[in-house]
Amino acid sequence: MKHLCRISALGLFSIFAMSTSPTLAQEQNNLANDSQQAYATLQSAQTSLVGTLMEQGTNKPIVGASITLVNQNIVTETNQKGEFLLSYLEAGDEEIIIEADGYISTVELTTIQQNIQNDCGTFYLQVDMANDVRNEILLNLAEQDLNDDEGRTQEQASAASSSTDVFNNVTSFAWSTMRYRNRGYEQIYEQNYIEGISFNAAERGQFNFSAMGGLNDASRYKETTNAIEANNFSFGGIGNATNYLMAASHYAQGWKASVAGTNRNYKAAIRASYNSGPLNNGWTFMGQVAFRFSPYIDNKGIIGEGIKYYSLGYFFSAEKVWNKQHKLKLITFGAPTLRGQSAAVTQETYDLTNQYNKTTWGWNNYNPYWGYQDGEVRNSRLVKTYDPTVIVGYEYDIDETSSLHIGLGYHYSMYSNSALSFYNAPDPRPDYYRNLPSFLWDGQLTERGTFITKDLNDYELGRMDEEGALLFNQSYNGTPIGHSIDLNAYKALHDLWTSRNDRTTQIDWDALYRANYANNYANPDGSAKYIQERRHNDIQEGMLSLNYSNSKFDHLKITAGLEAKQSEGIHYKTIDDLLGGKQWLDVDPFAERDIAELATNIGLTQAQIAYVMQNDIKYYLENDNPKAITTGGRFAYDYRINMTNVNLWAQNEWNWNSVDLYYALKLSYSNMQRTTDMFNGRAYYLTAINPTLISYYLGDRYSSLDHLVNNIPNRLYGTMHHFFDPAFKLGLKYKINGRNHIKINALAETKAPLARDAYISPRVHDRAIGTIYQHDQAQSLSDFYAASQKIVSGDLTYEFNYPIVRGRVTGFYTQFWNASELNGYYDDEARTFVNQAMYGINRRHFGLEAAVAVKLGTYFTLSGVVSAGDYSYVSNAYCITSAENGMALGEKTDLNTGINEPIYELKDSVLINGLKVSNGPQLNASLKLSFFHPKMWFADVTVSYFDRNWLDFAPARRMKGLFYGTRTDGTVVNGGFNQLYIDNTTSTDVRQHNADGSIAMDAYGVPLLEKPYNYLVEQESMVHSNPWHRFLIDLSIGKLIYLENRQSLSINLSVSNVTNNVYMKTGGYQQARLPRATRQGVLESEGNSTITSNIWKFPSKYYYAWGTNFYMTITYKF
Amino acid sequence: MRKTINILFTLFLGLIMFASCEPNAINEEKLFLNEQQVQDLIQDGKLYTLHEFVDNFMTERGNYLSDTTLYRTRGNNESVNPGIHLFSIDTLPSYGEGIYIRGRVTTDDFGGNFYKSLCIQQIVNGEQQALRLSVDAGSASGMYPLGQEIIIRCNGLAIGRYANQIQLCVPSYNNNKYAQNAGQKIGWAPGRIPFARFRIATQLVGTPDKSKLHCDTLTIGEIIDSYNVKDARQEDGKLICIKDIYYTGEYESTSGLQMCTTGDPEIDEYANVFAPTTKNVGYPQSRVISDGINKTLVSMSEYAKQANFYIPGADSLGVTNCPNYVGSVTGILSYYMDNASYAPDQWNWAISIRDLDDLSLFKTDAEGNQIPWIPVEYTK
Repeated sequence: MKHLCRISALGLFSIFAMSTSPTLAQEQNNLANDSQQAYATLQSAQTSLVGTLMEQGTNKPIVGASITLVNQNIVTETNQKGEFLLSYLEAGDEEIIIEADGYISTVELTTIQQNIQNDCGTFYLQVDMANDVRNEILLNLAEQDLNDDEGRTQEQASAASSSTDVFNNVTSFAWSTMRYRNRGYEQIYEQNYIEGISFNAAERGQFNFSAMGGLNDASRYKETTNAIEANNFSFGGIGNATNYLMAASHYAQGWKASVAGTNRNYKAAIRASYNSGPLNNGWTFMGQVAFRFSPYIDNKGIIGEGIKYYSLGYFFSAEKVWNKQHKLKLITFGAPTLRGQSAAVTQETYDLTNQYNKTTWGWNNYNPYWGYQDGEVRNSRLVKTYDPTVIVGYEYDIDETSSLHIGLGYHYSMYSNSALSFYNAPDPRPDYYRNLPSFLWDGQLTERGTFITKDLNDYELGRMDEEGALLFNQSYNGTPIGHSIDLNAYKALHDLWTSRNDRTTQIDWDALYRANYANNYANPDGSAKYIQERRHNDIQEGMLSLNYSNSKFDHLKITAGLEAKQSEGIHYKTIDDLLGGKQWLDVDPFAERDIAELATNIGLTQAQIAYVMQNDIKYYLENDNPKAITTGGRFAYDYRINMTNVNLWAQNEWNWNSVDLYYALKLSYSNMQRTTDMFNGRAYYLTAINPTLISYYLGDRYSSLDHLVNNIPNRLYGTMHHFFDPAFKLGLKYKINGRNHIKINALAETKAPLARDAYISPRVHDRAIGTIYQHDQAQSLSDFYAASQKIVSGDLTYEFNYPIVRGRVTGFYTQFWNASELNGYYDDEARTFVNQAMYGINRRHFGLEAAVAVKLGTYFTLSGVVSAGDYSYVSNAYCITSAENGMALGEKTDLNTGINEPIYELKDSVLINGLKVSNGPQLNASLKLSFFHPKMWFADVTVSYFDRNWLDFAPARRMKGLFYGTRTDGTVVNGGFNQLYIDNTTSTDVRQHNADGSIAMDAYGVPLLEKPYNYLVEQESMVHSNPWHRFLIDLSIGKLIYLENRQSLSINLSVSNVTNNVYMKTGGYQQARLPRATRQGVLESEGNSTITSNIWKFPSKYYYAWGTNFYMTITYKF
Repeated sequence: MRKTINILFTLFLGLIMFASCEPNAINEEKLFLNEQQVQDLIQDGKLYTLHEFVDNFMTERGNYLSDTTLYRTRGNNESVNPGIHLFSIDTLPSYGEGIYIRGRVTTDDFGGNFYKSLCIQQIVNGEQQALRLSVDAGSASGMYPLGQEIIIRCNGLAIGRYANQIQLCVPSYNNNKYAQNAGQKIGWAPGRIPFARFRIATQLVGTPDKSKLHCDTLTIGEIIDSYNVKDARQEDGKLICIKDIYYTGEYESTSGLQMCTTGDPEIDEYANVFAPTTKNVGYPQSRVISDGINKTLVSMSEYAKQANFYIPGADSLGVTNCPNYVGSVTGILSYYMDNASYAPDQWNWAISIRDLDDLSLFKTDAEGNQIPWIPVEYTK
């Protein structure tokens, strides 16, 4: 049968996405997966529409495609034979939108006759060749976890996108380079499901994209719901909800093999997949394997220098259909992956190493994590991931209007990352701040960050040349180096860096081995000087999902679900390589160094002092020595966090002619409990000095430290914390007519803190952030929710849907209260590693999203998207800082006794009110021109603009005590100085400004906003000053060739950052580390304003967008 | 079917590649120079003994500036110490003939008492020669341990004196406003060699061997009486041992020798431990030892691991038992004079111990048994 009134050539609505499309909640006729028998026996006494969807050129059925009747707002999906059926329709002209992941969407017109089954024949969709490539690139980006040296994780772009939504389709790829986050939300606010089972890990709150590394076919089919809107597989949240559909019947039958080459982190990939199609016995099988690799490549300046990458992904799915009612799905996948990492570095490091390249090609690719070992490349940071996953799903379609889906899932996410560790030896990192030329500036800068020109005796500085003339303003290679720095010393270091000397700019593995071999002679029973350790963060989870759906009642669909998850986060260290050393003694080096101070604080006995440095007191007591660890041995810490999460949710969706309404409620119970297999010395020490706090440090089942030390169990159980959280959302859709809709959604919820943010020093002890105890001992409702984050969010959308132009405009507003997060860094003042738990974080996100796609003649489509928002902190937060080695970080005088008491937990406000959230650019815009030629040529070009992008701030630099001299807990900073802004006698604010009001100054006329103060105060913008450097251009071109016997060959080339813009900072962080005695204020002894003059010593570190990079793939289907 | 086999074979190959591992451990022999490699190394220049090196390249006034008034302010005073410059810098040519020195490391900063400095010794004709190396690296002995022989290509570095101590260094301008008497201490002075630079210049010769270290046994009298300011330079940095000494329980101050107190070392800078607080000034703390005839100092940093251990014989009751513990002290001989406005005296000398194992002291009980001193840490 011929198509009726076909209005457009196939594919002309390339990537037309309508926010109407994925609202499966609205479906009234979802018989998509019915068996063929059921399809054939449908009666035509009612008004219905049937059809088939095939792939152009190969005539293969397209499974899971979305078929939308625009005027009647009805949606269904194609079954495994590509067939669809819509029943109970109204007669009349109708517009059909046909969309499928991986294909170019299209629109058809038809006329539906009353009381008959209308057959609209076969529709054909073109493969969207670029989609596969983009999907793979996005997966690759998402699996990169860019942990910085201080343990913070950079937010990555999401790999979950829907090619059927014009906004998400353009933004998810074109903006991924800039780590764009939808509405500025972190990954934890996005819900990711696989076949209806939640796979956001309970401890970290995130989905592990590396579990699907390289499996772009396996992860191809998904249903994505924008933000708050209703969906039929979960309650959802404020972020997008995605359900990956991996049942075998979703995939097209046949073989597919591809090879790919790229200059990104890995260099080549091969893939193969096979789908059996439905067999006579009712089974369908699907499998995919994908291998991606890159050997070590040491060409300095290339993308991914010093990175090796091996990943083997596998996916297997089997599906058994007994009859119309019963279906069983078995799915397993995993992708053991080994990949090297690269690091953010300071601008100085980039500037130096960029000089190795003669042009901008290769700029900003320096990676300090690798070096040479006996002439061979080796990376110190190797991530190993493997997340074997098993899913069993059972679908029971009780009758035509109700169904029950049951899912069971299990996965064991193995994640570990290696790093160098050292003991009483120099820091091996090549980019350690003391190894950079700028360290020669130490002591040579003024308090305002400029070079000194006169010394303290007012003597004019300037080294003399051979003729006795003073040399002012020395510079080398264009870099000013001031008046008082030895030029030769600077040149020598500078030249080592600009020439990229192997032993200076990379890890000198030979030197590490040499140190260990020498140590074997000098100190044969001691710890190795250097090791490569492996930090394990494994997660084991078992999940159960029940989903009941009922549309028996007119206009009403009821969906309800139960999600239960038992999780265990497993954290420990092992030794990867002793690097020639004999053993590693399991003591805490910081505790060992500071043991004298620890002992003098409380008068421990010598025997007790020996406990403090031990990581495993039980072993020490049994063996009278610290554990000597060899390769593979577990050391340092070994703790677990057990978590239970149960969600019960229900949703009602009402559908009328002009209005759709939904509302949903969710009740959540969760708990968390830390256990440890190592009773370490710092937990002992802190308990010894605070015996009444034993339940805080060790757990509420212990009451006597002495008793515990004499009977140390194999596993210590911490206190279990329980949380109950409600959530409610509702939405309304007003259909002005078939082409214009207005939608409004709102959500309110509380969320228990994630386990990763709940403990102030989880490697050491059981102590949680204070609000959790307030919750545990709640006497009121506000206490009960003291630890939970509260979220209120809403959005308003207008969407339009015409044959030539489609799009939407959405405004959104979200308020977060009381979030928490954990950071760690090296504290110069205390000379030890500290953990910093920040809580009471309040944020507000609001903004606008707009997307429009316009058909331009026969071959072209122009899409435009923009996202503009303001994501800010709206109040100051609070912080608890404690030393990893248990030492006191300050002291205060007891007013009654006059005795100085040590302080182990510093409590202070964090001055973040008004700062911007660093989750990608807050202003993004793209124009995309797509081209399709019926001879199967595809191309598109996307021009994107990014602005309003801020660097992540370090809470340590914004502590109130740094600026006021006194912390919120009343303790004094750095020996004490008067409040800077407040006159103590009059209690008035004494800030002043310069003549034109542009510079705020303290009471002594020292500017607050000039360097170096901005290192402390200002939030750094990552946007380049030259507007032209804020654009990125991406290009894609492809050709599809149909061969005999339904075979095809496709070639696709995707080129990102065509203009090689090497000036785009995509992320980074402000270093938390501060030089000793940093503060702005008035020293009591000096009586004038002062600030540490070397505040510049630990500048921010950045990531840059890769320069021009490509991904080319050739795919053969047979 | 053939296609299937080809695909599976390709994947199998991939698996093998996946299993590829890191480079093999390096053979020890490759990492340490042998004597032949040392000879090959110095072909482009000359290997100097430590004394030859100093004599050839170090001048009294230094060559770094023609106007030496920019040297550290109180580094010379013609009326009190004529012809003496306590601070100097002579830069060494960056290019041309290689300038090499070699020596064996005599220090260990594990105990925290040798902050960012190394001492090396070289035995020439049976006599010890020594030189300090000023290196900007904490825990440098992690790479250059006690007993390790090293060879250094000194081109581009400098030889100078800091408070009369000769050291391999780079020029550095001191402008530390937080120092005590800051105005008297500003100016050019020997500074620490950036560690990245030092590592490039230095190679290890053989593996460490503490047994090859040479220790000069001296009396306190030989140390404090025999040398003038210039002669002292040659002795500074040597590894020495003094026998039959005991701690007197005293500290040295501008008002003479005083008895240590029983105060809290975190508060009281005169407490009877090795190195109590300096109240954020940071100078090395010293305690007096005697051989019954003369007295000198044993110094330790307040940041050393054992800083708050009682000096031998001392306890919470006081220092009266100190003279009961007699024995030997081994350490680096140190001559420190940073102010030319004063005449040198015996208190410019001190012995810096590497850790408490450098003290071998015994008490003799009533039966004549030798009871070793056991270190005890101060507790509140």
